[in-house]
Amino acid sequence: MPSDFIIIGLYLALMFTAGIFFSRNIKSTADYFLAARSAPWFWIMGAVWATNIGFLHGYLAHGGAAYEWGLIQANFEWFQGPFGYVLTGLFFIAFYWRAGIFTVPHFLETRYGSGIRVIYSIGWLIFFIITIAAELYLGGMFLKNILHIPFWPTVFVLTAVVGTYTLLGGLGAAIMMEFVQFVIMMVGTMPLVFILLNMVGGFEGLKDVLLTQWNISPQYFSVLPDNHHPYGPGPWIILGQCFVVTIGWCAGHQSMVQRNLGARSLYDSKLGYVVAGLPKTLGAFLYIVPMVAAPIIFAQRGIFVEKADAAYGKLILNLLPAGMLGLFIAGLVSAGLSSISGVLNSSSTIVIKDIYERFIVKGKADHHYFVAGRVATFGIIVASLLLVSIVAKSPLIMWLEQTLLAILLGPFMAILILAIFWRRTNTPGSLIGYLVGSAFAIYYQQVLGQRVFFKISWWSFVVALAVTVVASLLTKRPKPEKVEGLTWESDFHARVGEITEQRAVNNGTKVTEMPEIKVTIPPWYLNLKYWATGILLAQLALLFFFG
Amino acid sequence: MRKVILLLVAVSTLIFAPSVLAQEKIIDVRQEMADNLTLVKTAVKNNDWTAAQNSFDKAKDTWQNEVKPLLIEDEKTEKRFSEYFGRMDEVGEGLNNLALLLASKKEAEIESKVNEIIWGISHHPRGFEVGPPKYSVWDWVFGLGIGLGWCVFAIFFGLYLRKSYYRRYAKQSGI
Repeated sequence: MPSDFIIIGLYLALMFTAGIFFSRNIKSTADYFLAARSAPWFWIMGAVWATNIGFLHGYLAHGGAAYEWGLIQANFEWFQGPFGYVLTGLFFIAFYWRAGIFTVPHFLETRYGSGIRVIYSIGWLIFFIITIAAELYLGGMFLKNILHIPFWPTVFVLTAVVGTYTLLGGLGAAIMMEFVQFVIMMVGTMPLVFILLNMVGGFEGLKDVLLTQWNISPQYFSVLPDNHHPYGPGPWIILGQCFVVTIGWCAGHQSMVQRNLGARSLYDSKLGYVVAGLPKTLGAFLYIVPMVAAPIIFAQRGIFVEKADAAYGKLILNLLPAGMLGLFIAGLVSAGLSSISGVLNSSSTIVIKDIYERFIVKGKADHHYFVAGRVATFGIIVASLLLVSIVAKSPLIMWLEQTLLAILLGPFMAILILAIFWRRTNTPGSLIGYLVGSAFAIYYQQVLGQRVFFKISWWSFVVALAVTVVASLLTKRPKPEKVEGLTWESDFHARVGEITEQRAVNNGTKVTEMPEIKVTIPPWYLNLKYWATGILLAQLALLFFFG
Repeated sequence: MRKVILLLVAVSTLIFAPSVLAQEKIIDVRQEMADNLTLVKTAVKNNDWTAAQNSFDKAKDTWQNEVKPLLIEDEKTEKRFSEYFGRMDEVGEGLNNLALLLASKKEAEIESKVNEIIWGISHHPRGFEVGPPKYSVWDWVFGLGIGLGWCVFAIFFGLYLRKSYYRRYAKQSGI
C-alpha cells in the first residue's frame, strides 16, 4: 500500500540523515571505534539489544525456528537475558575496561599474547562478514516478498543507508542510531503478540487448540524439552547454552562488547549490559510467541507457508492493516540495520586494530588508522555484498557460521574464565588449550557427526579448559606485571588505576577529554544489584511458568 | 592454481545445482498452486463462479503435472520432500471435494476447504512430530543437578568474588 511505502521511505531517509548528523566531530580512532567513551547507560542498553537482534538472530531466522520447533526457541531469550547479559555485565566487562582495550582479541593479547589474538580475530572476522551478508539477504528477501520490490536494489538501498552512517560516524553514530532503532522495534512490533493472542483466545486458547484439538505433543510448548528432543535437548540447553554459548556470545562477541566500551563510565557500561537483559527477555514476545501461534492462523486463513524462514513475513503481511504494516516493517528494518551496523563497525575495528595496526602498518599517526578504519568499513561492505548471492544459494554458509561459532565460543569461554580467575594461566597454555579445544569442536562435529550445537560448545569448552590447565602447569608461570589488574587476585591498590591508565594511553583508548569521574551513589532505580536480581527472578518465573 | 579453482567451481556447480534448483522449484510450484486456490476464494466471494472454476482448474493442473511428479520422483531418490509426499492423499481428496463443492456452488463450505488444501501443501512445523516428553531420572540429575547447579554456583561464586573484591578495594582505598 502507498502509505506503507511512505512510512518506510520516511524511515530510511530519517536514518540516513540522522546518521550523517551524528557523524560530526569524529576525529580520532578513539572517537571512531569507541564513540569517545561518551555513551550513557540507556544508549548502551538499547544498542546492545538492537545489535543482538536482527533479521538473522531475531525476527526472521529465530522467528522461523520458533514456527518450526515451538516455544523451545524462547530459551535463547530467556536464558541469554540472565546468564549472558547479567553475568557479563556484573563480572566480565570490568576487566575489559581495566585492560584499556579496543577489542576482545586485544584483551586476549594483553593477557596472553599475540598468537591467540590473530586466531580469534580472523575467526570472528569471517563470522561477521557472513553475518552481514546473511542479514542483507534475509532483509532483501523479506522486503521483496512483502512489498514486491526487486531484491538487489533493495539490498543496495539498505547497504547504502547503514553503510553511510556507520562508515562516517563510527561507533558513536551506530550507538545513537541503534537506540532510536531499539525504540522503533519495540513500539513497532510489540502489538503483534497482542493481536495474535487475542485472535486465538489468549495463551490458554493457543495451548488448547494445539494440544487438545490438533493433538500436538506438549513439548511444542516446553522451553526445556526432554533429552531426546532433536532440536534442543533440555539438559544440554542448560549446560551448553547457559554457561558456554550465551556468556561466550555476550563476553566474546566484539559488537556486543564494543558498545560497552563506548560507555561514559564503567558503571554505565555494566548497568547498560545488565538492563539490556530486560528487552532481551521481551524479545520472546516480539517474535517467538507470535510464531508459536502462527500455525493456527495459517491453517484457519489458508495462508501458504513455503518454508519456516518466510513464516514471519507471511504472518504480518496477512494480518496487519495498511499503515500499521509500514510501521511494522520499519521496526523490522531497524532490527536488520542495527545488527548490520554493529557487526560492520566491529569488523572494521578488528581489521584495523587487531590486524592492520598490530601486524601490517605499525607506528603511524592516529589519523592514518582513523582513515584506514573508514576504508576497512567500505571494504567489508563490498565483501559482504559479494557474498550475498552465495548466501542466497548455499547451505554451506549456515554450516560455516555454526561451525565457526562452535569453534570460537567454547574454547574462548575456557580461556576467558581462566584468564580472569586463575593467575597461573599462561601464554603457551592458553594457545594450546584454545587450539586443541577448537580442533576438538571440528572433530566432534565433522567426524563424530554431532549436530547439537550446545553439546559441541560444552565439550569443546571442557576440553579447552582441561588442556589449558595442564599445559599452563607444565610451562612457566606468567610474569606478575603481565597479569596485574587483569585477574580477580590482582592487587587492587592504587597501582591498578595507574596500570589501567597507562594501558589506555598505550592502546590509544584514552580519550583526550576524559570526563571528570565523580563517585556518587546511584539512585535506587539505577542500582545494578536491583536490576540484576529483578531480571534473574523474572527469568526464573518465566521458566517456572513455561518450562 | 587458477585452473584448479575454476575446475572446483565447475564441479561444485554440477553437483549442487540440480539439488538447489529442485528445492526452489518445489517452492515455486506450491506457491503457484496456493495463489490459484486463493483466487478461487476471491472469485467465490465476488460470486464469479466461472473465474473460480478456472482458478481451480489451474490449481489442480499444477498439482497433477508439477507438484505431484516432483514429490513422487523425490521420494524414490532423495526423500527431501517427504513431508508433502506424506500428505499427498489428503490434498488429492481435498481437491476432489472442492470440485464437488464448486459444482454445487456451496459457498459457505468452499473457503474452509480451500484453506485446508493450502495448509496441506504448506510447510508444517517439525516440532509437531516430536513425541510426548520422556523425562528420565538422568535428565533430572544431569539437567537440574549439574546444569542448574552449575549456573547457581556461577552466580553465588561470582557474587562472593565481587563482595571480596569490594571489601579488599575499600580497605586498600581507605574508604
